[in-house]
Amino acid sequence: MEATIEVNGLRKRFGPVMALDGMTFTVQPGQVTGFVGPNGAGKSTTMRVILGLDAPDQGTALIGGQRYQDLRCPLNHVGALLDAGALQPSRSARNHLLWLAHSQGLRAKRVDEVIGQAGLESAARRKAGGYSLGMRQRLGIAAAMLGDPPALLFDEPFNGMDPEGIVWMRGYLRSLAAQGRAVLVSSHLMSELQDAADHLVVVGRGQVIADTSVASLIASASGDRVQLRTTARTEAMTVLARAGATVAVTGPDTATVSGLAAEQIVTVLTHNAIPFSEVSAHRATLEEAYMELTRDAVEFRAAAPEEASR
Amino acid sequence: MTVPTITPYRSAVPEGRDGFAQLVRAEWTKLRTVRGWIIGAIIAALVTMGLGWFAGVGGASSCNSVGGGPARSGKSCAPSFIEGPGGEPVTDNFYFVRQPLAGNGTITVRVTSLTGQLPIMNNGRGNPNQQEQFRPGLQPWAKAGLIIKDGTTPGSAYAAIMVTGDHGVRLQSDYTQDTPGLPGAVSPANPRWLRLTRSGDTITGYDSADGTHWTQVGSVRLGGLPQVTQAGLFTTSPIYQSLTENFGGGSNGSEEPSTATGVFDQVALQDSRPPGAWTGSYVGSGDFSPGIGSYRQAQDRFTVTGSGDIAPVVSGPSGPGGPVITIANLLIGTFAGLIALIVVATLFITAEYRRGLIRTTLAASPRRGRVLGAKAVVIGSASFVTGLVAAAAAVIVGEDIARSRQFIFPVSWATELRIIVGTAALIAVVAVLALAMGAMVRRSAAAVTLVIAIVVLPYFLAIIAALPDSVADWIVRLTPAAAFAVQQAVPAYPQVEAIYSPAGGYYPLPPWAGLLVLVAWAALALTAATTLLRRRDA
Amino acid sequence: MPAALHAEWTKLRTVAGPAWLVAAVVTLTAAVSALAVQANSCPSGAVCAVDTTKLSLTGVQLGQAVVAVLAVLVISNEYSTGMIRVTLAAMPRRTVVLGAKAAVLSALVLAAGVLAVAGSLLAGRLILPGHGFTPAHGFALLSPGTPSVLRAAAGSVLYLALIALLSLGTATIVRDSAVAIGIVLGLLYLFPIVANVVGNEQWHRHLEQVGPMTAGLAIQATTDLRSLPIGPWAGLGVLAAWAAGALAVGGLLLRLRDA
Repeated sequence: MEATIEVNGLRKRFGPVMALDGMTFTVQPGQVTGFVGPNGAGKSTTMRVILGLDAPDQGTALIGGQRYQDLRCPLNHVGALLDAGALQPSRSARNHLLWLAHSQGLRAKRVDEVIGQAGLESAARRKAGGYSLGMRQRLGIAAAMLGDPPALLFDEPFNGMDPEGIVWMRGYLRSLAAQGRAVLVSSHLMSELQDAADHLVVVGRGQVIADTSVASLIASASGDRVQLRTTARTEAMTVLARAGATVAVTGPDTATVSGLAAEQIVTVLTHNAIPFSEVSAHRATLEEAYMELTRDAVEFRAAAPEEASR
Repeated sequence: MTVPTITPYRSAVPEGRDGFAQLVRAEWTKLRTVRGWIIGAIIAALVTMGLGWFAGVGGASSCNSVGGGPARSGKSCAPSFIEGPGGEPVTDNFYFVRQPLAGNGTITVRVTSLTGQLPIMNNGRGNPNQQEQFRPGLQPWAKAGLIIKDGTTPGSAYAAIMVTGDHGVRLQSDYTQDTPGLPGAVSPANPRWLRLTRSGDTITGYDSADGTHWTQVGSVRLGGLPQVTQAGLFTTSPIYQSLTENFGGGSNGSEEPSTATGVFDQVALQDSRPPGAWTGSYVGSGDFSPGIGSYRQAQDRFTVTGSGDIAPVVSGPSGPGGPVITIANLLIGTFAGLIALIVVATLFITAEYRRGLIRTTLAASPRRGRVLGAKAVVIGSASFVTGLVAAAAAVIVGEDIARSRQFIFPVSWATELRIIVGTAALIAVVAVLALAMGAMVRRSAAAVTLVIAIVVLPYFLAIIAALPDSVADWIVRLTPAAAFAVQQAVPAYPQVEAIYSPAGGYYPLPPWAGLLVLVAWAALALTAATTLLRRRDA
Repeated sequence: MPAALHAEWTKLRTVAGPAWLVAAVVTLTAAVSALAVQANSCPSGAVCAVDTTKLSLTGVQLGQAVVAVLAVLVISNEYSTGMIRVTLAAMPRRTVVLGAKAAVLSALVLAAGVLAVAGSLLAGRLILPGHGFTPAHGFALLSPGTPSVLRAAAGSVLYLALIALLSLGTATIVRDSAVAIGIVLGLLYLFPIVANVVGNEQWHRHLEQVGPMTAGLAIQATTDLRSLPIGPWAGLGVLAAWAAGALAVGGLLLRLRDA
């Protein structure tokens, strides 16, 4: 299809560092694809390769079956926000969009349209050097939307947004996908993508670790553990252990039980007259799922301030 | 898992065009929307004009009044030059032993000796009112021989055949023409026979080493010669110049007249009238005419002594009577405007690298060669227009300012046009060179310094004569500074002994050849920059 | 101030750039001096009005451009990277910061200058006799023992340091490295080039007296001092005035402007 982004076997080395090591995935239109991974996993490099800015040592990146360099009026096919700070400080936002429009043969009217869409009308004629971080992000999005492309790449668009901005951004990304566009959003914070992405490509150390929908990922990470809350914790543990379950204590009155289905646990507990206030299927957050997946792939791990109690 | 069938997005915005014209338009929008760069271009124009006008105002020489009056300055010090038949300023000073030549005729002579006297310089400025001291020595372009001239008014048409101090026999006419004849110095053991024949408007010159075998040296046509001309013997010797160079700061020139003495015999003048008597007089006028000359006649042997030159005036620090400026001096501000535009052109590309904006540019236009080409077109055109306005204003307004204060060497309007347009072209190509350098090096400070080092520094070194001539010549031929040759206002005449150096506005290469050297440099840099831009990651 | 000096010195020595630029100053100055000396000769019997000391120190004219670049980068790099805010937050007394930069830069340039000038004079001492500039011909062997040679050499080193300070002040005023270098080099070349075409001797002389480069380089002359537009030490004083002015204006703007 016209908008599909296909990345196949990308390899790239920067000196001693292997930034991309066989990166392969596809971005389908109609959904928001989250591109997540620890710092240094190769997300920005992949995006630059897709846009023809960096040349890979091996592999291909195609948009709608074509290489970026072969696209005519590329901004009509792919829009990208790589670095919100990539602005000439003494140039106004409107003039920044204006030269971009001129390079594709687009008219000034289109510039004013995207300025309106991004909510920058009042600040458009001010010098970009004076913009706050959030305004620069909006300007970057306006630039990406200038050619109204069916494929979009956003590199860490949530950086620097205030909570209101993050909510707006999520809704905006979803609406773009609902229009049938292919949207690739990279981030290293899962909480941002929790309600924005439909599909995830998880990367680490230059490779794809997981390429699934958000629902499956959460489900697989949740596993079959059950959360139990009870005041009679010791008795519950004994009873459940006899029934063949493994119990892990997670707090003064909570425990995680694995090995038994939730209903069975309820049966066992009521049979033994042990009071409980909560038996629920443990639903991992996207963050937990992600942490588990990428545990081995994290390059930079800071020392914990103090040993955190689990 | 199956992906639900999605209707792909169809844009309502019509697809644009991304041809080269759109790229140029985008780059022009980039250039004009940064106020700092526009200000830089304006400053470039202002300093070019301002310095030129300053040169026009402040150039007036001061000189001592003849007879010990108060020191004069300004236009009253300007040397006055007579005009030759072609309108160019000339000097016409020599000692003439002559007879009228009626109609067509021939004059023949044998020259047996040419000797001279050179002034002893005091390594400072000579005082023209003092009695000079002399030592034996012959100027290379000392002249003695035959001349047929339209009267004795300085600046009138003539044809002459002569022996010279160091350049053999020459046939010269109308101040700018020069043809060589028999080589070798003349002496009693090695005399030369010379002959001039007038036929209508044509005068033909012959020379011979033995008096019997004659070779035609050349033939010249002087339009509008009257029936009766003056023909005879002449001797003259150009002003002796000594130029001491101060390393790192200009040069001091001093000049004094020299003299030459020619010995002639076997003089024969044949025309339609019977031979008459010889008259000797000094031809020449003006503040700086040496006025030295005499002759003695012993039977048929003439000894003629004279001083001066029959030649076009050359500009520069070595003109007769002091510095002569041309309109090229009014463009002395070019280097400053150049520096300002080098900075703007470099920033035009390096600013994109500094902010990471280069990625946005290359994502919008992945055909990188075209991007650099569009930038070159935009900055080159903007610099050309800026340079054209600045050069035209500097020259045209500067001439008006200067004319009331000092003498400016006249040039034809074609030359003036070439100087103005050539300077604008020079500025434009240097801007493109700076752009290419900025694209290669990607750091603004390094690029600006490099371009100034290869364009302005060689010009500076050549202009202030801080280097020996051979080195300066090499520099002004090979570096981009060769393009300053477009500013040469007055041609160099080989038959006039003078110091033809860039300090005086003379360049070794012809104007457009010099510009071509700069274009070659810029083309090379642009090619290298494009290759690097394509191969590197953004 | 001592802390500021230490900080500025650490900044300079922990980046590769300044080291390369210092090396370039030394090698380019010595190389150009050698070339200039090589290109001159005095055939026996001729009278050559050549100032051998000044000729040997020709390379300083190119070295000064590299010194200017080094000085400009010391402050402009902070502005272009945004590090100036970190610097001024850590050391809020801004005049002290500029003073420390000036001091550290001067020390570095003085050291580089000594090496550069020594190399130049060495080249002159070795090459000149082979080109006819022998004691028999009236040209003494170049030696730092000669008072005039010592003055020219020490003065050249000071000249380089003053050029550095002039560039530092200019860069503090305009903050952009390319613009600062353009202004400094333009200023240096302006006076000799314009003086060259001004016919009026008085104006010519005044321009050479006032120009930073023309006045400053008077210190290099060892012969024919009377024909100089300005005395050697007075010329260096003119350059010092230019540098002081640039630093003063730069310091004022640094204090008044937002970081």
